[in-house]
Amino acid sequence: MTTTKTILRSDDLSCPTCVDNIESSLNQTEGVSQAKVHFNTGRIEVEHDPETVSEDKLLEVVEQSGYEARISQF
Amino acid sequence: MKILQKLLSGLTNPSTRKKVLLIISGSLITAGWATDFFRDSALLFNTFMIGAALVAGLEIARRAWQGLKNRHTNIELLVTIAATGGIAIGVHWEAAAVTFLFLLGGWLEARTMSKTRDTLRELINMAPDTAIVLENESRRELPAREVKKGMLVLVKPGSKIPVDGVVQSGTTSVDESAITGEPIPAEKQSGAEVFAGTINQNGSIRVRATKAGGDTTLAKIIQRVEEAQEEKAPTQRFIERFAQWYTPGIVGLSILSYLWTWNLELALTLLVIGCPGALVISTPISIITGIGNAAKKGILIKGGEYLENAGTISAVALDKTGTLTQGKPKITEFVCLQREKVEADIGKSHAKEELSVVPASDIEGENIPEQVTDLLYWAGMAESTSEHPLAEAILSEVPTSLDLPEPDYFTSHTGLGIEVLHKEKKILVGSTKFLKRQEIVIGDSFVNQIDKLAENGRTTVLVAYDNRLLGGIAIADPMRPEASKMIKQLQKSGVNRIVMLTGDARDTAEAIAKEAGIKEVHAGMMPDQKNDIIHDLQQEGENVAMIGDGINDAPALAAADIGIAMGAAGTDVAIETADIALMSDKLMTIPEALKISKLTLRNIHQNVAIALVTVGALLAGVFMGSVHMAAGMLIHELSVMAVILNGMRLRWI
Repeated sequence: MTTTKTILRSDDLSCPTCVDNIESSLNQTEGVSQAKVHFNTGRIEVEHDPETVSEDKLLEVVEQSGYEARISQF
Repeated sequence: MKILQKLLSGLTNPSTRKKVLLIISGSLITAGWATDFFRDSALLFNTFMIGAALVAGLEIARRAWQGLKNRHTNIELLVTIAATGGIAIGVHWEAAAVTFLFLLGGWLEARTMSKTRDTLRELINMAPDTAIVLENESRRELPAREVKKGMLVLVKPGSKIPVDGVVQSGTTSVDESAITGEPIPAEKQSGAEVFAGTINQNGSIRVRATKAGGDTTLAKIIQRVEEAQEEKAPTQRFIERFAQWYTPGIVGLSILSYLWTWNLELALTLLVIGCPGALVISTPISIITGIGNAAKKGILIKGGEYLENAGTISAVALDKTGTLTQGKPKITEFVCLQREKVEADIGKSHAKEELSVVPASDIEGENIPEQVTDLLYWAGMAESTSEHPLAEAILSEVPTSLDLPEPDYFTSHTGLGIEVLHKEKKILVGSTKFLKRQEIVIGDSFVNQIDKLAENGRTTVLVAYDNRLLGGIAIADPMRPEASKMIKQLQKSGVNRIVMLTGDARDTAEAIAKEAGIKEVHAGMMPDQKNDIIHDLQQEGENVAMIGDGINDAPALAAADIGIAMGAAGTDVAIETADIALMSDKLMTIPEALKISKLTLRNIHQNVAIALVTVGALLAGVFMGSVHMAAGMLIHELSVMAVILNGMRLRWI
């Protein structure tokens, strides 16, 4: 399994508890090995296997937890 | 059908869905109050309120459920329990208000919070996506991060520079505010360094790329700012530990008070105020905004901890060369000797020396006195063989009309001076000691003059031609014009000790210190001695900031409570090691950095106070029976907004 790191950014984080919501949703997703959400900057770092879970799928998972996000280059 | 599809797809988008739910829930509440007012129908009122609570509540319950699925309890769960309980015991309006306000608060807060993240977004957007690469006279457009070192990049007027590099050809002025915070454009010609993210204004230039993509100074800045904003300040760590216990504590209190009083509404109200919103957001909001605003002014603060430290600085230690001074020695005066042969009584002739000092600022254009031209001519010829920093100062003043001949022979006496031969005449350029050793006669009045210049911080280079002293060239590293203003500003902002640390000689150091208004001077310091001085200051109970140029001052920068590196643009070491890196070399950014830190620290304290007072007042209000669910939620959300808006004030300092 090859993992890549994808950076997402969200402007929807309003309270640090959102961090737990998104992190646990991502971590429960198959193909994600590690997800880290930074509250202050709204940066979401996801280490995942692109074969199992695509970047768009990651966005969908974040959306399902109730937050809008987009993919960022750095 | 299509409208319905559009509506449904819109509903999967979280922010649109939130907006739609808010509008529906809000209209239901309004309808409820309207029927209550016009019809006085309890049934309709309750139906509308339950409807409103369900519309807003389902979104909250969904998140609560997601949390539970992932095995952790969240604030949404508390609100869901409170609202469900509210409906169960028949306080329908309270339940509707709690869910609606919670959703509205979340939406407003996210919108305002995203504004604080603007600075970062602006920085990221500064970097253009593509670059025009020139290869064998053909042009091709490449993604900016794929440009390799050594490629030639064409930058048209009005466009952003895509890579870090060196100007190969063309001249232009470049707006470097993204990197240095300096609003006045910098002139660039071939050989000048340019940075990705800066704006090429009026000329077309070709840039030889040195760094691209994630390696550029801009990317380093963004990375640095992001890390800094995530770095938790001591206050934030303390608050977070407190918040960790706050929510379970309130839940426990709610259960206990229910068992004690059997008052379910009281217990549910406690759950509503159990969200530590304002508290957990109080510190991060100030830090994000403070650090973001500083970054926009070319001040990189490493993190919340440093921000808090910098806010309490009581002593400042400054490096001299390159920090207080420009770091580029310049000629300040020429000391010229005029000799007239006087026939003396006993048939012997002796020279009568006439001494004149010509300030370098008096010399303009072609109107150069002959003696000065002589000095520059011979000194320039000798120094053209040298790489000494003083040689550069002399050579840059030699008029272009003077054609300097190549010396026939030269030896360099390290630390003393240079000896050259030209057409069988010997030319000596160097210190007084050097010329005396070479048996040149130096008159007393001349020595006095040199001593006087030394007291004013000048180093004088003596010039002798054909074993005869011609005169001297006084050189100094001029103080930056804004240095004394900066020192005054520091004193005004409460820094009570300002100390100069320098490796330079005492005379030179004292002269600059006097000019800048610094009383405490430590001259002739080795790098590790600078370190000791910092430790001494700390022992005396001072919070010390050390300001230097980042490389040779590294140990002292590390030893100080706050290390501030100047002119950090383009030097990664400084960006990475200093606690605060000033991208430009403008001195006034130093008091500015301390001011932002101080104001941010104060803002953090205000926010923590707002949050704690709200929590205390809410708890007291609930137990005294004067705060119910709806009011509790309203006050709670208002306190969160107050904290965010207070933090946002830091954008405008």
